[in-house]
Amino acid sequence: MAITPNYYETLYVTRPDLQEEALATIQNKLQDSISTNQGEIIKAEKWAERPLAYEIQDHKRGIYYILVFKALPDASKEIEKHLQFYNTDILRFMTLKITEEAANKSKASQEEKAPKAETTPAPKAEEPETVKPEITKEATTEEVIVETEANVETAQEATTTSEEGGNQ
Amino acid sequence: MDSRRDKRYFSKKKVCRFCTEPIEMDYKNVDLLSRFITDRKKIVPRRNSGLCAYHQRQLATTIKRTRFMALLPYTVLH
Ligand SMILES: [Zn+2]
Repeated sequence: MAITPNYYETLYVTRPDLQEEALATIQNKLQDSISTNQGEIIKAEKWAERPLAYEIQDHKRGIYYILVFKALPDASKEIEKHLQFYNTDILRFMTLKITEEAANKSKASQEEKAPKAETTPAPKAEEPETVKPEITKEATTEEVIVETEANVETAQEATTTSEEGGNQ
Repeated sequence: MDSRRDKRYFSKKKVCRFCTEPIEMDYKNVDLLSRFITDRKKIVPRRNSGLCAYHQRQLATTIKRTRFMALLPYTVLH
């Protein structure tokens, strides 16, 4: 049986002081992983810059980026590998398998949000408006976590190191 | 008399919000999820959240994802 492409959503948090070139390097790698696995990017945008609920590697704020794509399962593995590699710049990342409807919905919300994207950085915008109008009931039920074990481990590591004062 | 009884009935019996309202449980929806954590940042138990078994389980998973992404705290001690 042929392997078919799936829909994925990756959310990753970068350190707030990450240089634009460094971010571009990472994003290009993600893009390559998708395109070499018969994939396409459905949405790639900055989601929010917000305070972290707890310090990660001594950082108090983070910039969240969202990436919705359709690709073969290998793409999500490669993406996780890339994000893991840059773990001093990428504080957290998580990839979830989503339904086609959820993916299309996020595409639509990007298009309707696009014109006002320039004016959104209001200081107290804790919750971006894109997230609210989503109403797919099935989306979360069929979601499968593809978060790697390594990912979880670094999460714990990061939390413990931040408690100890951080050694990275 | 009847109305009083109805009132009492409705104040006790809660219907699962996620079954009755067309809201999706998304781990990025911090405003919504933060209504389901206590002052000490614990996940609200089913007896207080009023959710059905299915949605309570889904809520727990979703909040854990939200915590992992540092959108919600694990504890007040951070
Ligand atoms: Zn329910």
